[in-house]
Amino acid sequence: MITFERVTKRYGERLALDDLSWHMDEGEAVVFLGPNGSGKTSILRLVTHEIQPTSGVATVGTFRSGRLSRGHRALLRRTLGIVYEDFRLLNDRTVFENVALAVRIAGRFAEANVAPRVQFALEEVGLLSKRDAFPTELSAGEKQRAAIARAIVNRPAVILADEPTGALEERSAAEVIALLKRIHGEGAALLVVTTRAEVAIALSTRVLHLAQGRLESAASPAGAAPTGRVR
Amino acid sequence: MHAFYLREAARSFRQHRGLAYTAIVSLTAALTLSGVLLLLTHNARVTLRLIGDRREMVVYLKDEVPSSQRDVLIGRLTDLYGAVTYVSKEQAWQEFGRQLGDPSLLEAVDDNPLPGSLRVKLKPELLNPAAMEQAANQISQFPEVDEVRYGQEWVRRLDQVGAILVKGTLAVGATVALAIIFILYNTLRLTVLARRPQVEIMSRLGATDRFIATPFVLEAMFEAALSAFLALALIFGLQQVMAARVVGLVFIPPATALAFVGTAIACAWLAAMLALSRVLRAVGP
Repeated sequence: MITFERVTKRYGERLALDDLSWHMDEGEAVVFLGPNGSGKTSILRLVTHEIQPTSGVATVGTFRSGRLSRGHRALLRRTLGIVYEDFRLLNDRTVFENVALAVRIAGRFAEANVAPRVQFALEEVGLLSKRDAFPTELSAGEKQRAAIARAIVNRPAVILADEPTGALEERSAAEVIALLKRIHGEGAALLVVTTRAEVAIALSTRVLHLAQGRLESAASPAGAAPTGRVR
Repeated sequence: MHAFYLREAARSFRQHRGLAYTAIVSLTAALTLSGVLLLLTHNARVTLRLIGDRREMVVYLKDEVPSSQRDVLIGRLTDLYGAVTYVSKEQAWQEFGRQLGDPSLLEAVDDNPLPGSLRVKLKPELLNPAAMEQAANQISQFPEVDEVRYGQEWVRRLDQVGAILVKGTLAVGATVALAIIFILYNTLRLTVLARRPQVEIMSRLGATDRFIATPFVLEAMFEAALSAFLALALIFGLQQVMAARVVGLVFIPPATALAFVGTAIACAWLAAMLALSRVLRAVGP
């Protein structure tokens, strides 16, 4: 599903990822745990082909790093569902319109099917009652749930989550983690990057510790630091 | 999906009204300028055509040509060059008297020195300097013909004026087309940059360039169409005001007006494609 083979990424002089190799299968869940600047976000950006490796090969499904055309890059992204720490919702649209946008971008469904799909996704994340609200009218937890609805509405094979609980208070964070676990339980592969050990523990899945762009060890959830952020 | 693109274009228009109105005002000004020239050129060409339609050739006959031979000649000229009217020596003399204003002046002249002539109203395909010269040469070869006149210099100048008008219209048209492209190119760049966060999010969700660009292209085409109609309305108003003072001033024909709007829309499409192909590469992650 996703494979990194000896991937190195440099931003000028700064080394973000150093000879990183890892793999995840379909339906698997992997958490990258590491402090800020350890290269976690670079991994996600490599997966979405926002950036290219300085050396090595990153493969997502049938898409290999290198010179993908803009059309192929868009196609790759449509196979993924992405959740960001800062939600990245469009503030000039309602929750419904934000989620519907992802369906229209996918281009796989007739216009008549857009509304039912969006409705179903909003029901799944428990946000149907806020369908006509604008993001500015939502709490942080609700925004993240809206972003998750947008990520899952097209039933992607992989959900990527970049610090999904980073901007949330404890209760909302727990709700979002429960939601991600449920989505993973329904068959989607889950790739989460976080500084929070409790996220890794709560997701109870394979955890890869990242420090200075290198894998320190692969651990079971029990191997993650018990609480708090990794600094 | 088409309705979605239209809604997106309308949303972008509403959210960046300032930019959109600036573009519309600039485009209307540029299009009005070219439209006024189009109006003047059209009227000049109408006038030239009217004058041109009156172009005729005068074939002076030798005095000794018998009427039977003259009728044969009229028949041949009619077949080959256009409608022929015979003006006898006497008619020419009377006409000359009328032109002088005082026919009594001619009483002192014993003999009518004017020749009989044939006035040939040329066929439309012969109304150009080269064809007229060729026709004049051919007609002068007939043994009954003494001389052929058609105002060679005048015809040439008339043709030159027409050609200059066409070139002028094309030059101004091209300049305005470039202005439209320039205005919309920059407006669209600014609009896309103003909506950079939205464009980035769409790109991250897997939107193709076409998906992102289509509403912007529609917006540019709408702005150009609206500006073209506004410019036509202004030009129509101007024509109505001027027609009250200048007799015979007419508005540009509907087909030309449609072509005017169509060209503005086509320029907008081109500008949008140029701007978006560059700016989306810069903005999209």
